[in-house]
Amino acid sequence: MTRLNHRFSGLAGSLVLAAGLVITAQAAAAEDAVAAGKKLAFDRKKGNCLACHHIEGGSLMGNIAPPLVAMKSRFPDKAKLRTQIFDPTKANPRSIMPPFGKHRILSDKEIDLVTEFIYSL
Amino acid sequence: MKKLIMTLGLALLIAGCNATTPSKPMSLKEQYEAKLAATQAAVEKAASVEGEWRDIRWKKSKKKYLPSAIKAAEAGDYEKALKLLDIAEFQAKMGYQQAMAEKNAGPHLYGM
Amino acid sequence: MKKIVTLLLSAGLVATATQAFSSPQEDLQKFRTYFEQKFPGMKLDDFGNGSYALDESKRIQWESMEEFPPYDEFVDKGREIWEKPFKNGKSFASCFGSDPSKVRVKYPHWDSKTQQVVTLEGDINKCLKENGEKPFGWKKGPIAWLSAFFGYEARGQKINVKIPNDPKALEAYEHGRHFFYAKRGQLNMACADCHVKYPGHFIRGNLLSTALGQTTHFPVYRAKWAKKSKDGDGMGTLHRRYGGCNKQVRARPFKAQSKVYRDLEFFHQYMSNGLTINAPGYRE
Repeated sequence: MTRLNHRFSGLAGSLVLAAGLVITAQAAAAEDAVAAGKKLAFDRKKGNCLACHHIEGGSLMGNIAPPLVAMKSRFPDKAKLRTQIFDPTKANPRSIMPPFGKHRILSDKEIDLVTEFIYSL
Repeated sequence: MKKLIMTLGLALLIAGCNATTPSKPMSLKEQYEAKLAATQAAVEKAASVEGEWRDIRWKKSKKKYLPSAIKAAEAGDYEKALKLLDIAEFQAKMGYQQAMAEKNAGPHLYGM
Repeated sequence: MKKIVTLLLSAGLVATATQAFSSPQEDLQKFRTYFEQKFPGMKLDDFGNGSYALDESKRIQWESMEEFPPYDEFVDKGREIWEKPFKNGKSFASCFGSDPSKVRVKYPHWDSKTQQVVTLEGDINKCLKENGEKPFGWKKGPIAWLSAFFGYEARGQKINVKIPNDPKALEAYEHGRHFFYAKRGQLNMACADCHVKYPGHFIRGNLLSTALGQTTHFPVYRAKWAKKSKDGDGMGTLHRRYGGCNKQVRARPFKAQSKVYRDLEFFHQYMSNGLTINAPGYRE
Protein backbone atom coordinates (compact mmCIF):
# COMPACT_ATOMS: atom_id res chain seq x y z
CA MET A 1 0.00 0.00 0.00
CA THR A 2 2.70 2.40 0.98
CA ARG A 3 4.58 1.29 -2.01
CA LEU A 4 1.57 1.85 -4.18
CA ASN A 5 1.02 5.26 -2.68
CA HIS A 6 4.57 6.12 -3.28
CA ARG A 7 4.31 5.00 -6.85
CA PHE A 8 1.14 6.96 -7.36
CA SER A 9 2.56 10.16 -6.00
CA GLY A 10 5.58 9.60 -8.21
CA LEU A 11 3.33 9.33 -11.23
CA ALA A 12 1.28 12.37 -10.21
CA GLY A 13 4.49 14.27 -9.72
CA SER A 14 5.71 13.56 -13.21
CA LEU A 15 2.31 14.40 -14.65
CA VAL A 16 2.35 17.75 -12.92
CA LEU A 17 5.87 18.31 -14.11
CA ALA A 18 4.96 17.42 -17.69
CA ALA A 19 1.91 19.69 -17.64
CA GLY A 20 4.05 22.46 -16.24
CA LEU A 21 6.52 22.05 -19.04
CA VAL A 22 3.79 22.26 -21.65
CA ILE A 23 2.41 25.42 -20.10
CA THR A 24 5.88 26.99 -19.89
CA ALA A 25 6.53 26.05 -23.48
CA GLN A 26 3.29 27.66 -24.56
CA ALA A 27 4.02 30.79 -22.57
CA ALA A 28 7.47 30.94 -24.07
CA ALA A 29 6.04 30.63 -27.58
CA ALA A 30 3.56 33.43 -26.88
CA GLU A 31 6.38 35.56 -25.52
CA ASP A 32 8.42 34.84 -28.63
CA ALA A 33 5.49 35.88 -30.81
CA VAL A 34 5.12 39.14 -28.90
CA ALA A 35 8.85 39.84 -29.19
CA ALA A 36 8.86 39.01 -32.90
CA GLY A 37 5.77 41.14 -33.39
CA LYS A 38 7.41 44.04 -31.61
CA LYS A 39 10.42 43.82 -33.88
CA LEU A 40 8.15 43.98 -36.94
CA ALA A 41 6.07 46.80 -35.47
CA PHE A 42 9.16 48.93 -34.79
CA ASP A 43 10.88 48.15 -38.12
CA ARG A 44 10.58 51.15 -40.45
CA LYS A 45 10.45 48.92 -43.51
CA LYS A 46 7.84 46.58 -42.03
CA GLY A 47 5.07 47.72 -39.70
CA ASN A 48 6.56 51.13 -38.94
CA CYS A 49 3.75 51.59 -36.42
CA LEU A 50 5.76 54.30 -34.64
CA ALA A 51 5.42 56.57 -37.67
CA CYS A 52 1.93 57.39 -36.42
CA HIS A 53 1.37 55.67 -33.06
CA HIS A 54 2.88 56.07 -29.62
CA ILE A 55 4.07 52.74 -28.26
CA GLU A 56 5.82 52.36 -24.93
CA GLY A 57 9.56 51.96 -25.50
CA GLY A 58 9.60 53.59 -28.93
CA SER A 59 11.43 56.71 -30.05
CA LEU A 60 10.70 59.41 -32.65
CA MET A 61 7.03 58.56 -32.55
CA GLY A 62 4.32 60.22 -34.57
CA ASN A 63 1.02 61.43 -33.16
CA ILE A 64 -1.33 61.06 -36.10
CA ALA A 65 -3.06 58.03 -34.65
CA PRO A 66 -4.15 57.04 -31.14
CA PRO A 67 -1.46 55.76 -28.75
CA LEU A 68 -1.42 51.98 -28.59
CA VAL A 69 -2.34 51.34 -24.97
CA ALA A 70 -4.97 49.24 -23.18
CA MET A 71 -5.55 47.33 -26.38
CA LYS A 72 -7.41 44.46 -24.71
CA SER A 73 -10.12 46.82 -23.52
CA ARG A 74 -10.29 48.60 -26.88
CA PHE A 75 -10.30 45.33 -28.83
CA PRO A 76 -11.71 42.62 -26.58
CA ASP A 77 -11.88 40.45 -29.69
CA LYS A 78 -8.36 39.84 -30.95
CA ALA A 79 -9.71 38.94 -34.40
CA LYS A 80 -11.14 42.45 -34.74
CA LEU A 81 -7.75 43.94 -33.94
CA ARG A 82 -6.22 41.72 -36.60
CA THR A 83 -8.82 42.89 -39.11
CA GLN A 84 -8.03 46.51 -38.29
CA ILE A 85 -4.35 45.88 -39.04
CA PHE A 86 -5.14 43.76 -42.10
CA ASP A 87 -7.45 46.32 -43.70
CA PRO A 88 -8.36 49.49 -41.81
CA THR A 89 -10.35 50.76 -44.80
CA LYS A 90 -13.04 48.23 -43.85
CA ALA A 91 -13.89 50.26 -40.77
CA ASN A 92 -13.19 53.62 -42.43
CA PRO A 93 -12.61 53.87 -46.19
CA ARG A 94 -10.68 57.13 -45.81
CA SER A 95 -8.42 55.93 -43.00
CA ILE A 96 -4.82 57.04 -43.48
CA MET A 97 -3.62 53.75 -42.00
CA PRO A 98 -2.10 51.46 -44.64
CA PRO A 99 -3.94 48.19 -45.32
CA PHE A 100 -1.06 45.97 -44.22
CA GLY A 101 -2.67 42.68 -45.22
CA LYS A 102 -4.86 43.68 -48.12
CA HIS A 103 -1.91 45.32 -49.89
CA ARG A 104 0.55 42.66 -48.66
CA ILE A 105 2.80 45.15 -46.94
CA LEU A 106 3.18 42.38 -44.37
CA SER A 107 2.62 38.65 -44.82
CA ASP A 108 -0.21 36.83 -43.02
CA LYS A 109 2.30 35.36 -40.57
CA GLU A 110 3.78 38.80 -39.90
CA ILE A 111 0.32 40.23 -39.27
CA ASP A 112 -0.35 37.45 -36.76
CA LEU A 113 2.84 38.37 -34.91
CA VAL A 114 2.15 42.12 -34.96
CA THR A 115 -1.38 41.42 -33.70
CA GLU A 116 0.05 39.41 -30.79
CA PHE A 117 2.35 42.28 -29.90
CA ILE A 118 -0.24 45.05 -30.18
CA TYR A 119 -2.74 42.95 -28.25
CA SER A 120 -0.21 42.65 -25.41
CA LEU A 121 -0.02 46.43 -24.98
CA MET B 1 17.78 13.63 -86.33
CA LYS B 2 15.68 16.08 -88.28
CA LYS B 3 13.22 13.31 -89.01
CA LEU B 4 13.03 12.42 -85.34
CA ILE B 5 12.20 15.99 -84.39
CA MET B 6 9.57 16.15 -87.07
CA THR B 7 8.02 12.92 -85.91
CA LEU B 8 8.09 14.09 -82.34
CA GLY B 9 6.57 17.37 -83.39
CA LEU B 10 3.87 15.57 -85.30
CA ALA B 11 3.20 13.32 -82.32
CA LEU B 12 2.90 16.34 -80.06
CA LEU B 13 0.62 18.03 -82.53
CA ILE B 14 -1.63 15.01 -82.67
CA ALA B 15 -1.60 14.73 -78.88
CA GLY B 16 -2.41 18.40 -78.66
CA CYS B 17 -5.32 18.10 -81.07
CA ASN B 18 -6.75 15.05 -79.47
CA ALA B 19 -9.11 16.43 -76.85
CA THR B 20 -9.58 13.13 -75.05
CA THR B 21 -5.89 12.81 -74.22
CA PRO B 22 -5.12 14.65 -70.95
CA SER B 23 -3.09 17.71 -71.93
CA LYS B 24 0.54 17.73 -71.00
CA PRO B 25 1.19 19.95 -67.94
CA MET B 26 2.79 23.26 -68.82
CA SER B 27 6.52 23.40 -68.37
CA LEU B 28 7.88 26.01 -65.99
CA LYS B 29 9.04 28.01 -68.97
CA GLU B 30 5.57 27.99 -70.49
CA GLN B 31 4.03 28.92 -67.17
CA TYR B 32 6.49 31.76 -66.92
CA GLU B 33 5.72 33.02 -70.40
CA ALA B 34 1.98 33.00 -69.79
CA LYS B 35 2.37 34.67 -66.43
CA LEU B 36 4.72 37.29 -67.83
CA ALA B 37 2.20 38.29 -70.49
CA ALA B 38 -0.59 38.47 -67.93
CA THR B 39 1.55 40.54 -65.57
CA GLN B 40 2.66 42.95 -68.26
CA ALA B 41 -0.94 43.50 -69.27
CA ALA B 42 -1.95 44.09 -65.65
CA VAL B 43 0.87 46.61 -65.19
CA GLU B 44 -0.11 48.55 -68.29
CA LYS B 45 -3.69 48.58 -67.11
CA ALA B 46 -2.69 49.99 -63.71
CA ALA B 47 -0.45 52.58 -65.36
CA SER B 48 -3.27 53.65 -67.69
CA VAL B 49 -5.26 54.85 -64.67
CA GLU B 50 -2.23 56.40 -62.88
CA GLY B 51 -2.34 53.57 -60.37
CA GLU B 52 1.06 51.92 -60.73
CA TRP B 53 2.92 51.15 -57.51
CA ARG B 54 6.57 51.91 -56.82
CA ASP B 55 8.19 48.51 -56.81
CA ILE B 56 6.78 46.91 -59.94
CA ARG B 57 9.24 48.24 -62.53
CA TRP B 58 10.31 51.79 -61.67
CA LYS B 59 14.02 52.06 -62.42
CA LYS B 60 14.98 53.48 -59.02
CA SER B 61 13.05 50.89 -57.02
CA LYS B 62 15.29 48.49 -55.11
CA LYS B 63 12.87 45.64 -55.77
CA LYS B 64 11.66 46.07 -59.37
CA TYR B 65 9.69 42.82 -59.30
CA LEU B 66 8.94 42.67 -63.02
CA PRO B 67 12.44 43.31 -64.41
CA SER B 68 13.89 41.10 -61.66
CA ALA B 69 11.58 38.28 -62.77
CA ILE B 70 12.72 38.64 -66.36
CA LYS B 71 16.33 38.56 -65.21
CA ALA B 72 15.73 35.42 -63.16
CA ALA B 73 14.10 33.73 -66.15
CA GLU B 74 16.99 34.69 -68.37
CA ALA B 75 19.29 32.98 -65.87
CA GLY B 76 17.07 29.91 -66.10
CA ASP B 77 15.50 30.22 -62.65
CA TYR B 78 11.84 30.03 -63.62
CA GLU B 79 10.67 29.21 -60.13
CA LYS B 80 12.11 32.43 -58.79
CA ALA B 81 10.78 34.31 -61.80
CA LEU B 82 7.26 33.01 -61.19
CA LYS B 83 7.41 34.03 -57.54
CA LEU B 84 8.45 37.56 -58.47
CA LEU B 85 5.78 37.77 -61.15
CA ASP B 86 3.20 36.76 -58.57
CA ILE B 87 4.09 39.84 -56.54
CA ALA B 88 4.24 42.13 -59.57
CA GLU B 89 0.89 40.93 -60.88
CA PHE B 90 -0.75 41.25 -57.47
CA GLN B 91 0.56 44.79 -57.04
CA ALA B 92 -0.54 45.79 -60.52
CA LYS B 93 -4.04 44.44 -59.97
CA MET B 94 -4.33 46.12 -56.58
CA GLY B 95 -3.05 49.40 -58.01
CA TYR B 96 -5.75 49.28 -60.66
CA GLN B 97 -8.41 48.32 -58.14
CA GLN B 98 -7.30 51.16 -55.87
CA ALA B 99 -7.46 53.71 -58.68
CA MET B 100 -10.96 52.53 -59.56
CA ALA B 101 -12.07 52.79 -55.94
CA GLU B 102 -10.64 56.33 -55.84
CA LYS B 103 -12.14 57.36 -59.15
CA ASN B 104 -14.36 59.98 -57.55
CA ALA B 105 -11.98 61.01 -54.79
CA GLY B 106 -11.92 64.57 -53.60
CA PRO B 107 -12.35 67.35 -52.75
CA HIS B 108 -13.01 66.22 -49.22
CA LEU B 109 -12.22 68.57 -46.41
CA TYR B 110 -12.31 66.42 -43.35
CA GLY B 111 -15.04 67.34 -40.93
CA MET B 112 -16.36 70.14 -43.14
CA MET C 1 -40.35 49.71 -59.33
CA LYS C 2 -37.53 49.45 -61.82
CA LYS C 3 -38.33 52.93 -63.00
CA ILE C 4 -38.06 54.33 -59.51
CA VAL C 5 -34.72 52.65 -59.00
CA THR C 6 -33.43 54.04 -62.27
CA LEU C 7 -34.72 57.45 -61.35
CA LEU C 8 -33.06 57.32 -57.96
CA LEU C 9 -29.84 56.11 -59.50
CA SER C 10 -29.72 58.84 -62.07
CA ALA C 11 -30.53 61.40 -59.39
CA GLY C 12 -27.59 60.06 -57.42
CA LEU C 13 -25.35 60.31 -60.45
CA VAL C 14 -26.43 63.86 -61.09
CA ALA C 15 -25.63 64.73 -57.50
CA THR C 16 -22.13 63.26 -57.80
CA ALA C 17 -21.56 65.05 -61.06
CA THR C 18 -22.54 68.41 -59.61
CA GLN C 19 -20.25 67.81 -56.68
CA ALA C 20 -17.34 67.03 -59.00
CA PHE C 21 -17.92 70.25 -60.89
CA SER C 22 -17.60 72.61 -57.96
CA SER C 23 -15.86 75.65 -59.38
CA PRO C 24 -12.23 76.44 -58.61
CA GLN C 25 -13.40 79.59 -56.81
CA GLU C 26 -15.68 77.55 -54.55
CA ASP C 27 -12.91 75.02 -53.91
CA LEU C 28 -10.48 77.77 -52.99
CA GLN C 29 -12.91 79.40 -50.59
CA LYS C 30 -13.68 76.13 -48.79
CA PHE C 31 -10.04 75.08 -48.75
CA ARG C 32 -8.92 78.29 -47.12
CA THR C 33 -11.77 78.38 -44.61
CA TYR C 34 -10.92 74.82 -43.62
CA PHE C 35 -7.34 75.75 -42.77
CA GLU C 36 -8.27 78.99 -41.08
CA GLN C 37 -10.64 77.07 -38.83
CA LYS C 38 -8.09 74.36 -38.18
CA PHE C 39 -5.44 76.89 -37.17
CA PRO C 40 -7.40 79.78 -35.70
CA GLY C 41 -5.56 83.07 -35.46
CA MET C 42 -2.81 82.12 -37.87
CA LYS C 43 -2.04 84.81 -40.43
CA LEU C 44 -2.66 83.80 -44.03
CA ASP C 45 0.94 84.34 -45.09
CA ASP C 46 2.20 82.27 -42.21
CA PHE C 47 0.84 79.18 -43.96
CA GLY C 48 3.63 79.73 -46.47
CA ASN C 49 6.13 78.98 -43.70
CA GLY C 50 5.03 75.37 -43.57
CA SER C 51 5.64 73.40 -40.44
CA TYR C 52 7.69 76.27 -38.97
CA ALA C 53 4.49 78.19 -38.46
CA LEU C 54 3.09 75.30 -36.45
CA ASP C 55 5.84 74.55 -33.98
CA GLU C 56 7.63 77.14 -31.84
CA SER C 57 10.92 75.33 -31.32
CA LYS C 58 11.22 74.44 -35.00
CA ARG C 59 10.47 78.03 -35.84
CA ILE C 60 13.30 79.35 -33.71
CA GLN C 61 15.80 76.98 -35.38
CA TRP C 62 14.49 77.92 -38.79
CA GLU C 63 14.69 81.64 -38.13
CA SER C 64 18.33 81.36 -37.12
CA MET C 65 18.96 79.35 -40.29
CA GLU C 66 17.34 82.11 -42.32
CA GLU C 67 19.92 84.63 -41.05
CA PHE C 68 22.54 83.07 -43.33
CA PRO C 69 20.36 81.03 -45.63
CA PRO C 70 22.07 78.13 -47.41
CA TYR C 71 20.12 78.90 -50.60
CA ASP C 72 21.75 82.33 -51.07
CA GLU C 73 24.64 81.00 -53.14
CA PHE C 74 22.16 79.26 -55.45
CA VAL C 75 20.11 82.39 -55.94
CA ASP C 76 23.39 84.02 -56.99
CA LYS C 77 24.12 81.16 -59.36
CA GLY C 78 20.63 81.61 -60.79
CA ARG C 79 21.32 85.30 -61.32
CA GLU C 80 24.51 84.41 -63.22
CA ILE C 81 22.52 82.07 -65.46
CA TRP C 82 19.98 84.83 -66.05
CA GLU C 83 22.67 87.31 -67.03
CA LYS C 84 24.84 85.03 -69.12
CA PRO C 85 24.11 85.38 -72.86
CA PHE C 86 23.39 82.32 -75.01
CA LYS C 87 25.76 81.38 -77.84
CA ASN C 88 23.45 83.22 -80.24
CA GLY C 89 23.90 86.43 -78.25
CA LYS C 90 20.39 86.47 -76.79
CA SER C 91 19.60 85.62 -73.17
CA PHE C 92 16.71 84.44 -71.00
CA ALA C 93 15.37 88.00 -71.12
CA SER C 94 14.43 87.33 -74.75
CA CYS C 95 11.90 84.79 -73.47
CA PHE C 96 10.87 86.19 -70.09
CA GLY C 97 11.15 89.96 -70.53
CA SER C 98 13.80 92.18 -69.07
CA ASP C 99 12.45 92.34 -65.52
CA PRO C 100 13.15 89.09 -63.65
CA SER C 101 10.85 90.09 -60.79
CA LYS C 102 7.82 89.79 -63.06
CA VAL C 103 8.36 86.19 -64.09
CA ARG C 104 7.42 83.91 -61.23
CA VAL C 105 3.96 85.32 -60.69
CA LYS C 106 2.90 84.33 -64.21
CA TYR C 107 3.29 80.61 -63.50
CA PRO C 108 1.77 78.13 -63.76
CA HIS C 109 -0.71 79.21 -66.39
CA TRP C 110 -3.06 77.72 -68.93
CA ASP C 111 -1.90 77.99 -72.51
CA SER C 112 -4.97 78.08 -74.72
CA LYS C 113 -2.94 77.45 -77.87
CA THR C 114 -1.29 74.22 -76.78
CA GLN C 115 -4.19 73.37 -74.43
CA GLN C 116 -1.96 72.56 -71.51
CA VAL C 117 -0.57 73.83 -68.23
CA VAL C 118 2.71 75.69 -68.65
CA THR C 119 5.14 75.84 -65.74
CA LEU C 120 8.10 78.10 -65.06
CA GLU C 121 10.53 75.21 -65.36
CA GLY C 122 8.87 74.13 -68.61
CA ASP C 123 9.38 77.58 -70.09
CA ILE C 124 13.00 77.74 -68.90
CA ASN C 125 13.87 74.66 -70.92
CA LYS C 126 11.69 75.77 -73.82
CA CYS C 127 13.67 78.99 -73.95
CA LEU C 128 16.95 77.10 -73.98
CA LYS C 129 15.82 74.80 -76.77
CA GLU C 130 14.48 77.63 -78.89
CA ASN C 131 17.85 79.32 -78.64
CA GLY C 132 19.82 76.25 -79.58
CA GLU C 133 21.03 75.60 -76.04
CA LYS C 134 21.01 72.29 -74.23
CA PRO C 135 18.03 72.09 -71.83
CA PHE C 136 18.65 71.67 -68.07
CA GLY C 137 17.78 68.57 -66.06
CA TRP C 138 14.26 68.91 -64.65
CA LYS C 139 14.58 68.46 -60.91
CA LYS C 140 17.76 69.99 -59.52
CA GLY C 141 20.85 71.95 -60.42
CA PRO C 142 20.70 74.95 -62.82
CA ILE C 143 16.92 74.74 -63.36
CA ALA C 144 16.34 75.00 -59.61
CA TRP C 145 18.89 77.82 -59.28
CA LEU C 146 17.32 79.93 -62.00
CA SER C 147 13.83 79.20 -60.69
CA ALA C 148 15.03 80.13 -57.19
CA PHE C 149 16.36 83.41 -58.56
CA PHE C 150 12.99 84.20 -60.15
CA GLY C 151 11.29 83.32 -56.87
CA TYR C 152 13.67 85.49 -54.88
CA GLU C 153 13.11 88.44 -57.21
CA ALA C 154 9.34 87.97 -56.84
CA ARG C 155 9.35 87.88 -53.04
CA GLY C 156 6.53 89.89 -51.61
CA GLN C 157 4.23 89.44 -54.60
CA LYS C 158 1.21 87.21 -54.31
CA ILE C 159 0.51 83.88 -55.97
CA ASN C 160 -2.11 84.55 -58.59
CA VAL C 161 -2.92 81.51 -60.70
CA LYS C 162 -5.81 81.99 -63.11
CA ILE C 163 -8.04 79.13 -64.16
CA PRO C 164 -9.79 80.31 -67.33
CA ASN C 165 -13.34 79.25 -67.99
CA ASP C 166 -12.24 76.88 -70.72
CA PRO C 167 -13.45 73.27 -70.48
CA LYS C 168 -9.97 71.93 -71.17
CA ALA C 169 -8.41 74.15 -68.50
CA LEU C 170 -11.05 73.05 -66.00
CA GLU C 171 -10.37 69.46 -66.96
CA ALA C 172 -6.66 69.94 -66.19
CA TYR C 173 -7.54 71.60 -62.88
CA GLU C 174 -9.89 68.77 -61.96
CA HIS C 175 -7.30 66.21 -62.95
CA GLY C 176 -4.83 67.86 -60.56
CA ARG C 177 -7.44 68.09 -57.85
CA HIS C 178 -8.34 64.44 -58.22
CA PHE C 179 -4.68 63.45 -58.06
CA PHE C 180 -4.33 65.42 -54.83
CA TYR C 181 -7.28 63.72 -53.13
CA ALA C 182 -6.94 60.14 -54.44
CA LYS C 183 -5.22 57.51 -52.36
CA ARG C 184 -2.37 55.84 -54.14
CA GLY C 185 0.56 53.48 -53.70
CA GLN C 186 0.93 50.39 -51.59
CA LEU C 187 0.54 52.50 -48.46
CA ASN C 188 -2.79 53.83 -49.75
CA MET C 189 -2.31 57.51 -48.95
CA ALA C 190 -3.43 60.68 -50.68
CA CYS C 191 -1.60 64.02 -50.62
CA ALA C 192 -4.64 65.32 -48.75
CA ASP C 193 -4.43 62.61 -46.08
CA CYS C 194 -1.22 64.10 -44.69
CA HIS C 195 -1.45 67.73 -45.75
CA VAL C 196 -5.15 68.47 -45.33
CA LYS C 197 -6.25 66.08 -42.63
CA TYR C 198 -3.14 65.88 -40.44
CA PRO C 199 -0.97 69.01 -40.79
CA GLY C 200 0.43 69.97 -37.40
CA HIS C 201 0.81 66.30 -36.48
CA PHE C 202 4.05 64.39 -36.45
CA ILE C 203 4.82 61.49 -38.73
CA ARG C 204 7.88 60.00 -37.04
CA GLY C 205 10.00 63.09 -36.32
CA ASN C 206 8.56 65.14 -39.17
CA LEU C 207 5.92 67.76 -38.64
CA LEU C 208 3.38 67.69 -41.47
CA SER C 209 2.82 71.00 -43.25
CA THR C 210 -0.44 72.45 -44.51
CA ALA C 211 -1.24 72.06 -48.20
CA LEU C 212 -2.20 75.73 -48.09
CA GLY C 213 1.00 77.69 -48.69
CA GLN C 214 3.10 74.74 -49.79
CA THR C 215 3.97 76.22 -53.16
CA THR C 216 4.96 79.73 -52.08
CA HIS C 217 8.52 78.75 -51.15
CA PHE C 218 9.45 76.55 -54.12
CA PRO C 219 12.01 75.80 -55.38
CA VAL C 220 13.36 74.84 -52.03
CA TYR C 221 16.64 74.18 -50.29
CA ARG C 222 16.18 70.94 -48.41
CA ALA C 223 18.81 69.86 -45.92
CA LYS C 224 17.92 66.27 -46.77
CA TRP C 225 18.85 66.89 -50.41
CA ALA C 226 22.25 68.26 -49.43
CA LYS C 227 23.39 65.30 -47.35
CA LYS C 228 24.66 63.05 -50.13
CA SER C 229 26.42 64.44 -53.17
CA LYS C 230 24.45 62.17 -55.49
CA ASP C 231 21.30 63.98 -54.35
CA GLY C 232 22.71 67.31 -55.46
CA ASP C 233 23.34 70.53 -53.57
CA GLY C 234 20.07 70.78 -51.65
CA MET C 235 18.07 72.69 -54.24
CA GLY C 236 15.07 71.09 -55.86
CA THR C 237 11.92 71.93 -57.78
CA LEU C 238 8.31 71.39 -56.82
CA HIS C 239 8.05 68.39 -59.12
CA ARG C 240 11.07 66.82 -57.50
CA ARG C 241 9.22 67.05 -54.21
CA TYR C 242 6.06 65.56 -55.72
CA GLY C 243 8.10 62.58 -56.85
CA GLY C 244 9.56 62.16 -53.36
CA CYS C 245 6.12 62.19 -51.76
CA ASN C 246 4.72 59.65 -54.21
CA LYS C 247 7.71 57.40 -53.67
CA GLN C 248 7.20 57.50 -49.92
CA VAL C 249 3.67 56.15 -50.19
CA ARG C 250 5.11 53.49 -52.51
CA ALA C 251 3.47 54.76 -55.66
CA ARG C 252 5.52 54.98 -58.82
CA PRO C 253 6.54 58.64 -59.13
CA PHE C 254 5.66 60.42 -62.35
CA LYS C 255 8.26 62.24 -64.36
CA ALA C 256 8.94 65.85 -63.46
CA GLN C 257 6.95 68.06 -65.86
CA SER C 258 4.71 65.18 -66.90
CA LYS C 259 1.10 66.16 -67.57
CA VAL C 260 0.07 64.65 -64.23
CA TYR C 261 2.44 66.80 -62.20
CA ARG C 262 1.75 69.95 -64.24
CA ASP C 263 -1.97 69.51 -63.65
CA LEU C 264 -1.29 68.85 -59.97
CA GLU C 265 0.76 72.04 -59.79
CA PHE C 266 -2.07 73.96 -61.47
CA PHE C 267 -4.48 72.93 -58.71
CA HIS C 268 -1.93 73.05 -55.89
CA GLN C 269 -0.61 76.54 -56.67
CA TYR C 270 -4.11 77.86 -57.30
CA MET C 271 -5.10 76.77 -53.79
CA SER C 272 -2.43 79.16 -52.45
CA ASN C 273 -3.62 82.15 -54.43
CA GLY C 274 -3.31 85.34 -52.43
CA LEU C 275 -0.39 84.08 -50.37
CA THR C 276 2.93 85.90 -50.56
CA ILE C 277 5.74 84.34 -52.56
CA ASN C 278 8.69 83.61 -50.26
CA ALA C 279 10.81 81.43 -52.51
CA PRO C 280 13.27 79.92 -52.20
CA GLY C 281 12.60 78.42 -48.81
CA TYR C 282 14.68 76.39 -46.42
CA ARG C 283 13.30 73.06 -45.27
CA GLU C 284 14.68 70.18 -43.23
